[in-house]
Amino acid sequence: MKTSPRRPTRYPCLQILILLFLLIPLFTTPSLADNWQKTLAAAKGQTVDWFMWGGSPAVNAYVNGYVADALAARYDVKLRQVPVKDIAEIVSKLLVEKQAGKNRDGKVDLMWINGENFRTCKRHGLLHGPFAHQLPNLKYVDTEKPAVKNDFGEPVEGLESPWGSAQVVMIYDTARTPEPPRSVAALIDWIRAHPGRFAYPAPPDFTGSVFVRHLFYHVAGSVDAWQGDFDRQAFAKAADNTYALLRELAPALWRQGSTYPESPVRMAQLFADGEIDFSFSYHQAEASKKIHDGLFPDTVRTYVFDEGTIANTHFVAIPFNAADTAGAKVVANFLLSPEAQLKKADPAVWGDFPVLEAGRLPEEWQQKFAALERGPATLPDAVLQGHQLPEPPSEILIELEKGWQRKVLKAQ
Amino acid sequence: MAAEGPESPVIVRPATQRGVARDRQPPSRLTHLLLLTPALLVVVGLFGGGLLMGLMQSLGHIPAAGLQELSLGHFKGLFSDPDFVGSLNLTLYIAATATLIATLLSVGLALVLVTLARRHRLLTFLLQIPLTVPHLVVAVAMIFLLTPAGLFARLAVQLGLVDSIQAFPLLVNDRWGVGMIIAYVWKEVPFITLMILSVLQTAGIELLEVGRTLKAGPWQRFRYITLPTIFPSLSAAALIVFAYTFGAFEIPFLMGRTYPMLLPVWAYRSYSDVDLMARPEGIATGLVIAAVVSLAIVLAHAILSYARRRGAVL
Repeated sequence: MKTSPRRPTRYPCLQILILLFLLIPLFTTPSLADNWQKTLAAAKGQTVDWFMWGGSPAVNAYVNGYVADALAARYDVKLRQVPVKDIAEIVSKLLVEKQAGKNRDGKVDLMWINGENFRTCKRHGLLHGPFAHQLPNLKYVDTEKPAVKNDFGEPVEGLESPWGSAQVVMIYDTARTPEPPRSVAALIDWIRAHPGRFAYPAPPDFTGSVFVRHLFYHVAGSVDAWQGDFDRQAFAKAADNTYALLRELAPALWRQGSTYPESPVRMAQLFADGEIDFSFSYHQAEASKKIHDGLFPDTVRTYVFDEGTIANTHFVAIPFNAADTAGAKVVANFLLSPEAQLKKADPAVWGDFPVLEAGRLPEEWQQKFAALERGPATLPDAVLQGHQLPEPPSEILIELEKGWQRKVLKAQ
Repeated sequence: MAAEGPESPVIVRPATQRGVARDRQPPSRLTHLLLLTPALLVVVGLFGGGLLMGLMQSLGHIPAAGLQELSLGHFKGLFSDPDFVGSLNLTLYIAATATLIATLLSVGLALVLVTLARRHRLLTFLLQIPLTVPHLVVAVAMIFLLTPAGLFARLAVQLGLVDSIQAFPLLVNDRWGVGMIIAYVWKEVPFITLMILSVLQTAGIELLEVGRTLKAGPWQRFRYITLPTIFPSLSAAALIVFAYTFGAFEIPFLMGRTYPMLLPVWAYRSYSDVDLMARPEGIATGLVIAAVVSLAIVLAHAILSYARRRGAVL
């Protein structure tokens, strides 16, 4: 007791120093790791209601089995999948809740969206966040890449967290076409030189429609010009040029362009039957699957154009009035973990392609992804990810589909 | 206990009487109605209700999309679209041609089978098989058989009938809908044949024998005895087939050309269009199909009841 009053006078400098050190955190933002610890703590015991399209048994099994089990065991977060037929229903429900002023305790904690639905949500302020940058695992994703930075032409801005990716790949048979045309320009020349040997499904079929967009990008000479707000006059001009090119190509197509395959399934069948020499798919592993099923010969391979092929990323987002935002973030972060992405990429589980950039992963995970057996015709992640073009806004997509009907199909 | 003894038969008797009464009299109108209610609810409620809602939507009433006022604009728009009229004509052509060919083949087949089938039950059984095959399966099978890369084309090349599979005539996704007509004929011939066959078998051969005693030749016997006998069921069956082929979706979707498309495909395309505004047009197309189909069914019914009144064998 005697010494205590003397202490302050004995070490004044030290005390001031300690005080200064203690003050430091007040002037700097708390580190990402600290914040994440808080989120983890808040998420404990929460039940996350994840509203998502429930039409795929493989996806449902992955979510309800592996993901839910891991979340419960590691983070004490209970995941409840709420399958819906179309997430647009949920978006309109959120819109009504927003208008009614229901700003808290919403039923939806997480939803699986992309494209048009994301645009609607963003424009009407239906999303919580930006939150994606808070997720530690986002460091494995190249968020500056156009196909991840934008969701069908709408800048993501951290309002949704990437989950998986789909990309167009060209499918060919090495036995028939040893040297496939490696750019859109080369493909156009090839079609002219080989009349009747190429076909694409009639838009609005999704796969046929994405082929038209590749030609549109080629004719327009730019990809970035169509992201976000675009010049309408320039679009009209580029679109007309695209239709003109497609009209001019039609006589060199399968059946002289008098009819088109109604679906990618039919196109694949024509390809397998030897009526045409190319097929293509908006799924990177489609050709491997068809080889495995015995529908394509073993000599079939895939490739991407040198300038890239169109890819889109699918995301998860948190509604503005979600009750369990911390839990939802933990789920979104876990979905981005190398472990969960690897499991998801396994063709036996789901076969959805990772959004993680191979080069950003630790060495051991790179090897695990590389070792994943994806079939003989599937390209490595690095090749795919190095050749991704973003989707244009859905407005452009729809206009091209309609224009194709009017100015290509009916103008024969 | 003893007092209750004589009462027990009394309890039983009314039940017995009621049972007897049921045997003697047909059920009352009320019972009829009650028995029919479940089926009626389904048919009137779901089908009629759906039709009514469809009509409202085709008139432009979709409150969820903010479309409120009623107008015939969508129907007018359809009929002033040359593409729609072209599709309507193409659909009529396909349905009528398929029905006509199927009807002619069925009459011939039924005449041959009516004598054979009695001895060979297997034939009738074979004839029933196509009835159970869904149209979707028929369409896919026909694609495998008839396309330039199909079985027939390869067979023709093997036999030296054509030089290469490219030289094989276009039968699927072709201009004249040959593939579609073949698919429909294959599917509908057994149906019409079985319809007439049952009439021919119940009609017996007495009339024909009478005809023969009166020295009627084979053509005369067919023209004046067989044809009038089968005509009501034949035309009814043909109209049902026409109605079906006019409204069916699977075969034209898979075997038709991208453009011009048949009406059921048109309706599907408009209805599933990303543009919500195209929906009323899709439903209007559906209603045009429904109108043609209903007309065919009503005609079929009228022919049958007219024939029944005249005491034809059915």
